[in-house]
Amino acid sequence: MHMNDGADAPYWNGLAEGRLLLPRCGGCETWLWPAISRCGACGCEDIAWIERAMAATVFSWTRTWHRFGFTESLDLPFVSIVATIDDCGIRLLGRLDDPDRIDPVIGEAIAGRIGATRVGDRDIPTIIWSRG
Amino acid sequence: MHPLYGTTAVAGVGLRQYRRGASPLPEQGVLAEAILAACADAGFDPAEVDGFVSYGDDKNEPVRLMPALGTRELKWSSVVWGGGGGGIAGAFGLAAAAILSGQASAVIVFRALVEGSSGRLSAAVMAHHLNDHMLAAGIVAPAQVCAIRANRMYEHHGVPRAVAEELVRASYYHGARNPEAIAHDTELDLDAMRGSRWIAEPFRLFDCSRENDGAAAFLMVSADRARDLAKPPVYLLGCANGAEKGWGDLLENDDAALYPTAGFRPIARRLYADTGLSPADIDVVQLYENFSAQGVASLIDHGFCTYDNVAEVVRFDNLIAPTGKLPVNTGGGNFAQGFIHGIGTAYEAVKQLRGESANPVPGARTCLLAGGPGAPTVSSAIFANAF
Ligand SMILES: [Zn+2]
Repeated sequence: MHMNDGADAPYWNGLAEGRLLLPRCGGCETWLWPAISRCGACGCEDIAWIERAMAATVFSWTRTWHRFGFTESLDLPFVSIVATIDDCGIRLLGRLDDPDRIDPVIGEAIAGRIGATRVGDRDIPTIIWSRG
Repeated sequence: MHPLYGTTAVAGVGLRQYRRGASPLPEQGVLAEAILAACADAGFDPAEVDGFVSYGDDKNEPVRLMPALGTRELKWSSVVWGGGGGGIAGAFGLAAAAILSGQASAVIVFRALVEGSSGRLSAAVMAHHLNDHMLAAGIVAPAQVCAIRANRMYEHHGVPRAVAEELVRASYYHGARNPEAIAHDTELDLDAMRGSRWIAEPFRLFDCSRENDGAAAFLMVSADRARDLAKPPVYLLGCANGAEKGWGDLLENDDAALYPTAGFRPIARRLYADTGLSPADIDVVQLYENFSAQGVASLIDHGFCTYDNVAEVVRFDNLIAPTGKLPVNTGGGNFAQGFIHGIGTAYEAVKQLRGESANPVPGARTCLLAGGPGAPTVSSAIFANAF
């Protein structure tokens, strides 16, 4: 649960600096997600963290209307999104701006900016996606 | 022949089920009653039970059950890894493994859930998986995780949304006719269902299973021993459990072709290969459906239909006993029989094969039990009353 002690620590640190950093195997150049300490494809333990633009397409989504615990800071309804990041294929969980409640379409292009989600007394960095 | 094929059997079953918050006893007490009922059902001395298996983060460590049951010696105590209902069928395989390897001889498979004792299930299930990636996206509940996959199954893979309603209707039809079901004597109001509030799109309230208090227990012994006990044996013919590469706790990075599935494709392949059976040999299906779309995906994964013909197969008329060709969740399933983390589906599997179901399937010999669609590890089993 702690953000800065796992294999994905560089991801969180990147977001805190305003950059999207994603892991790629230094041996076979496979993009790795969830972040891991060893590439299962080639066995390499040299993981490079590469900056990607916050550009993606919609892979899938849901619009939540029920007040689940830990979502108290989010106005209902809100849209959660699985976004396929351009030029690497890694899918990230994030949120989509949804002011007009227009259903996302799988495959549509979205652009992100770094925001945060308040959960309890913590602000967790995340990517907020918008259309176009 | 695979070593699991027909070599162990369920000899007794016990169920205690109450509305959420209405259990007369704490969780461990309800569970002890269910275990004693399973032993009584089989005509078996509960003190002779020497093993226990559960799944889904059950809180009742077997050693703590011993004083209430009079257990003489505990020889096997294990649980299937993974949250959710993925381990239901696998738990029977684990019990069989203990018996066939001589490490125990009479094993109780169980799951207990009393909210006042161990809290709400959805929170417990999610505690298993929750991380900052999910929290930041507002994804905190199984309903949302399954909703995202359902949307892709509907939109990208062309499964018509109407099939989910057919599955829910069949569950309520069976549940209304099952005196042991929470929804007994309650006809489903279709307008109420269609107009019920959104939970997480595409799921409305009626697409989601709801929790009950209670416990169920199953006494498993060798097939030979089962034949000497009070009830006709329900044989385990095969069981598969696990996940393949490209499926699991992968932060939604599952293989794209597997993403909208319920995770059963490798499980079903192995189960059919090990038993020599095919979907055409299955007389009745007990399906863990946490959410409607995942129930449909589970049927597709097990080869009962495809993305192309799902609407022809998953039809209310086809899913109900006694006349449908693919009777599903004949006790009412998680939607209408009740939801003690899905263990009621296994209970109905046994009742159906013994001819004790409220919705009997004429001549049923085989029953497929599928646990935990969408969970990172899933399992399925085939039971039979003759082979
Ligand atoms: Zn590599």
